[in-house]
Order: sequence, then structure tokens, then C-alpha cells
Amino acid sequence: MTMDRRSVLGLGGAIAAGVALAPGLHLIAAPAAPATPTDDATEAPPVPRWALLIDTTRCTTDCTACTSACRTENNVQLFGDPERDIHWIRKVELRDMNLRHPPVSLPVLCNHCEHPPCVHVCPTAASFIRKDGVVLVDKHRCIGCRYCMIACPYKARSLVFHKTKPPKDNNPAVPIRAAGVVEKCTFCVHRVDNGEQPACVAACAKADKNAMLFGDINDPKSEISQRLLKEKTQTIRPDLGLKPHVHYKGI
Amino acid sequence: MLNDYSAIEGRSPGFIKLLFGLGFLVLLGAGAFVYVEHYGHAVTGMNNQIVWGLPHIFAISLLVMASGALNMGSMSTVFAVNQFEQFGRFSAFLAIALLIGGLTVLMLDLGRPDNMLLPMVYMNFTSMFTWNVFLYTGFMTLCLLYLWTMFEYKQYKKLVGTAAFGWRLVLTTGTGSIFGVIQGREVFGSAITAPTFVAVSLTSGTALGILLLVHTFRQTNREMDERLIFGMRNALMFFLMLVAYLLIVEKFTRLYDPASQAVQMWILTGSWAWLYWIGVWGMGVIIPLALLFNHTLGNRVSGVLLASGCVVIGAFCFVAHTLLAGQSYPFDMFPGFKVESSFQDGVVGSYTPTLPELFLGLGGVGISGLIYLLGIRFFRMLPKKGVVPPGWDLPWSP
Amino acid sequence: MSVNSPIILALFSAGRVLRLSVLIVVLLAVWMSGLSAPSEAWANPPQPEKAVRGPCVRDADWMRRNHMDFLKHKRNETVREGKFIQSEAFLACASCHQSRERFCDRCHAYVAVAPNCFDCHQYPK
Repeated sequence: MTMDRRSVLGLGGAIAAGVALAPGLHLIAAPAAPATPTDDATEAPPVPRWALLIDTTRCTTDCTACTSACRTENNVQLFGDPERDIHWIRKVELRDMNLRHPPVSLPVLCNHCEHPPCVHVCPTAASFIRKDGVVLVDKHRCIGCRYCMIACPYKARSLVFHKTKPPKDNNPAVPIRAAGVVEKCTFCVHRVDNGEQPACVAACAKADKNAMLFGDINDPKSEISQRLLKEKTQTIRPDLGLKPHVHYKGI
Repeated sequence: MLNDYSAIEGRSPGFIKLLFGLGFLVLLGAGAFVYVEHYGHAVTGMNNQIVWGLPHIFAISLLVMASGALNMGSMSTVFAVNQFEQFGRFSAFLAIALLIGGLTVLMLDLGRPDNMLLPMVYMNFTSMFTWNVFLYTGFMTLCLLYLWTMFEYKQYKKLVGTAAFGWRLVLTTGTGSIFGVIQGREVFGSAITAPTFVAVSLTSGTALGILLLVHTFRQTNREMDERLIFGMRNALMFFLMLVAYLLIVEKFTRLYDPASQAVQMWILTGSWAWLYWIGVWGMGVIIPLALLFNHTLGNRVSGVLLASGCVVIGAFCFVAHTLLAGQSYPFDMFPGFKVESSFQDGVVGSYTPTLPELFLGLGGVGISGLIYLLGIRFFRMLPKKGVVPPGWDLPWSP
Repeated sequence: MSVNSPIILALFSAGRVLRLSVLIVVLLAVWMSGLSAPSEAWANPPQPEKAVRGPCVRDADWMRRNHMDFLKHKRNETVREGKFIQSEAFLACASCHQSRERFCDRCHAYVAVAPNCFDCHQYPK
């Protein structure tokens, strides 16, 4: 079959494509890839719903294992321009204004909401939510309008303000992002789809903190489901009704 | 009727100077676009907290004024205020010119302008931007049809003009809703944002219309009955009071709610308070109202012009304040905690616009101006003489 | 030149502007056609680099015609649906066609298309 790309240029084509692709949220209904890459389309396993539990009582102020692991893994560069640097995950220090609690240090990253406002406002559906709950930016489709950055209440997104080049210790598994698109935490989909933990979680365990737990909350037997059931946790800005899936313990 | 309108001659030195001046603005804008494209948005003052800056202020101001520019046409076509019928063509054409200028700036400030047609291909109907794509194209189509009916098919004028009027209300509601539907930032997210945008479009569009009409008539030595200007003045005063009302209701409702008192007090006293008090209230409402209600100044064309200039600046300040204050206020992710991070969490955002941004915005003004100027040069947009219909007189004066 | 000079004034008459722009377009078209490559170059387009091993995931003729749609389709499946098939991945081309310059760039330069894949992705070596 020859696909006629030129037809898309016509108004009719544009409308047809719009109608075919407009309910984009339903198209994204494929499961994550099986753990081992294969050429056969296999029967889909039950769809997971990835989530993260951060135990702030184990997180310390001086530790930046998660943030530096993220920079290395995802080729997130620093440009020496603090207001325009890109942060997929950042360490935030909380101080109780009434000094009743000791200060808390915790990482903040994309919350991979169940109702992500960034996805709602994206005009090209470049921001989308995968069936397994991971919110991603399709950089091929992003036009750099930054409406998602306006809509996100977690400041999880950054525009690539500077021209980028592959860093020296480039991780070839993750493409760099050209200037002008919006990027953010991907929950390390490239690792998760291969059955690995996100880089920040792995680094946290390696630094012997074990403050981060990643898992599938659709599986009631998973450790994260068990702990979310037993322990007192909370999410950031639950009042907005976005159902974020990064849970915090001990704030 | 055909002979009541005429194109301007366009041979005076003033016209050509203006043409080259506006062309220079467009060149500045084009240069700024190439510059920002080449070096990335890092050369602008925008950052990860304030992601929309001066170009968006220019663009949205132009879009707001575009829908407002249709006022004079709508007043005659929809509400039978017949003395403004002669300015119908001018009004619809000005709307188109402003819309094109604003949209161009918006498009050229994208991070990936090479992908600017993607919203037409992949539409996400939950996005206000997608809605606005339809609202803007629809508005432009309706304005063109409206113009066409005014030129050739008078029998359909009422129908198309009414449709355009309804559309412009929805259009500005859509523009305001870009901010109105955002719950994630403390300052945005109010049902009254969109109506306030509509009211500001009414004031700024009328004011810009007065400014352009009077100047165009003076420069081309056409006569205009001053009572027409004072008629528009009365409408402008009413619209200004509408803006004041909506602004007060918004602040009152928000201040009543303990949860939003902190952010509202920040708006009234914080880092962008000067823009709010001097720009939105001073230039946008109080000074023009004071001028227009003044017995001496309000009854002079120069006084009305001065007030109109203030209103246009005020509308610009209103959009600027909505954007900048809305984005500067830090995200309140952990209520009751002091927040600190390497990503400016818990800090009021800072924004210092740079020249390329200003040039890009001025480029949009240049495009609108050029379209307007060439339009009145080549088409019969303006009446040869501004006259009042027999039997009509000004109902009220200060 | 004064703004009142007849040349500048003459530019601003509707009919003349129209005629002048038609003339400019025609002249540009003539000039551009003269710029195009001589005919023998068209007869000998560059051949993409041969694979060091085979076979390809589709036959060569089909690939030559449809690789852009194929890659775009696979890209959407991979990015948006998480369906990833190693052998059909975009960068898997490099396991058989080893030089990006000889495999991709030469033809793209010849037909004057500029896909921006390599702004972000890196062709494996």
C-alpha cells in the first residue's frame, strides 16, 4: 500500500487525519513491550500502572544520587543558566514555617498523573499518557508552545532553551532533545519496558538509601501496592484532583 | 452608495513614511525571529518559570483588540446604532488586520515553528489552543464574509454581521479561557477571566478604532462630524465601567476566600503590583474614565483621543499583568512549608524581557499596521465624509 | 531618494503592484529553472550504501519508496504505544548500513529533503 502523504496537505486530508487521530487518548491503548524484544507480536500481559513511592524519612539533604543518575541516564545537560536549566528530577528542601517538624528533603519529579493537565492542554497531543500510566512528550510532535508548562502544577517540565549537542558521556539509549521542545521525566520508559527500574530508583538503592520504590499498583501483590495500603502516604496537591502517582511518605 | 466610500490616495509623504516605518518594524520582527530561531529561546528573557513573555503579551493584546475592533460594525449591524454603519467596513477590516498580526507573533514564537502546522494535523480537542485554531480561522472567515456583504450583498449583512458578533464573543472567551481553565497556577483559573477579556476587548477595540479613525480622517483631510466620536466615547465609558466592575468582583470574590488571600495580597502588593495599579487600573480604567467624565476634556476630541490611548496601553498592561503575575507566583506545592531547591521552587519568578522579544512583538504590530494601511489604500474602506444620519443627535455628554 | 520621487510613488498603484509581482514571479521561475542540475545528473542518482548483511525487514524497492512512512509508523508505535521491535527500530538500520553519510545523507541531499532525525538521535557507529 502506498500512503499518499500529499493528501494530508489538503484541507480534506487534514480534516480526515484530525478525525482519525483526534480521540488520540484512545489510540494509546497498547501495552508495554514484553521484557525481551521479539519480532513476534505476543499476547499482551495485564496492563501495569507504574507508580513511585518516596519515603522522605530515608531521603537526606546532602544526597543527590537520584538527580545525578537521571542526568547521566537521560543525557540531561546543565547549561550554567539556572533559570533555564533542565530538571527532570530535583531535590526540594521543606522547612515547616512553625518549626514543629524537622526539615524534610525530597525529590520532585513528574507525577505521572492519572488526569494530567499537560495532556489536556497540548494542542497536538504531543503530550500523552500511555496505557501503563506513563505521561510522555512525543518530541517529534511538540511545537514548543509551552502551554503544558503553564498547566503543570508541579513545574515538572522544562523547555530546551539552549542548542544541544550530545554530551561526552552520552547514553545512546536516550536521544538528546533539540532546542525548542518541552521535555520532562519519562519514568525511564526505555528501562522500564525492559523490566529494569528507573535510573533514579536504582541509584537511590545503590546509595544505600532505599528511599524510592517503583512498581505496578495494578498488581495487588506488588511491594508498592502493599506499602501504599499499609503506610500513611500522600501526594502533592491532591486538591487538584489530578491523581498523581508519585506518593510521598513522611511529609 | 458606491461613491460614499473611497480609498485613500496614498501619495503623501506621510503615507510613504508610515509605510516604510511599519515595514521596518516587520523587518525587525523577522530579524528577531531568525535570531531566536538560530540561538534558541535562551536569548529571550523567558525561562522555565515564566514561559510566556513579551511576544505573547503583544500577540494576545492584538487578538483581544482584533475582536474588539469589530465593535463599530456590530453596533450598527446587530444593534441598529445606525450612525456607525459607515464605519462597518473599516471595523471588520481592522479586525482581520489585527488578528493576522497577533497570530503571526504567536506562531513565530513557537519553540519549533517548523512544526507549526501540526496542530492542524493532530488535533487534541481537550486543548483550548485547538479550539482557538477554529475560533480564529472562523472569525477571520466571518469577517471576510461580513466585509464582502457590506461591499456587495447588503441583504445578507445583518445575518453575517450577527454571526460575526456572536463568534467574536466566543473567540475572546476562548482567548481568556487559555488562562481561565488553568487550575495549576494559583493566579489563573477563574470563571471570570474570560468575561473580563471580553470586556477588555470591548474597551481596547473601541479605543483603537477611535484613534485610527480620527487620525486617518485627519491625515487624509476628510471631514468627520465630532458627534460621531462622542458617540463612541459614550460607548467606551460604558465598557470601561464594565471592566472596572468585573475586576472588582474578581478581587472581591478571591479575597473573601482565605485559601487565596495570600496570592491575592501578593497581586495587590507584590512584585507586579505596579503593573496592576498603574497599568490595569490607572491606564486601563481610572485615568480614561476621569478624562472622559471631565466636562472640558470629555467634550474635546483631543481629550477622547488621550483617553483612548490610555485605554489601549491599559489593555496591553491587563494582558501583561495576567500573564506575568500569573506565571511569577511560585507553585504552592507544599502548603505550610518553606520550599527551596535548585529549580527556583518557592521563589517569585523573575522576568526581564530582551530586545528580540520586543522586536518580535513590534513586528506583529507592524504587520497589522501594514495590512491596515495597504487595505485603506487599495480598497474603499473609509467613508469620504463622516456624517450623522438626519434626525440623530448625541443623547448625553459629560 | 525623496519619498516624493516618482519611482516610489509609481510603486503604489494597485494595478502596477499586481503586474510587477507577476513579473517578479515569472523572472524568479525562469532563474530557478536555470539553476537546476544538468540532465545527466538526474540520470545517475546516488545509490544508497549496500547492506553488509541482509535481508532487510522489507525488500529494497519497497523500502526505497516507503521508508519514510515506515519509519514514521514505527516511531509512533514505539513512542506512543510502547511497542518496540528491535529489528525494525529506526537505528537498527545501522546494523547493516554502516555509514550514515553514504546511506542516508547522500540521497537526502540529492533530493533536497532535510529530515531532522539526527538533531536528536545518533546514528550508531
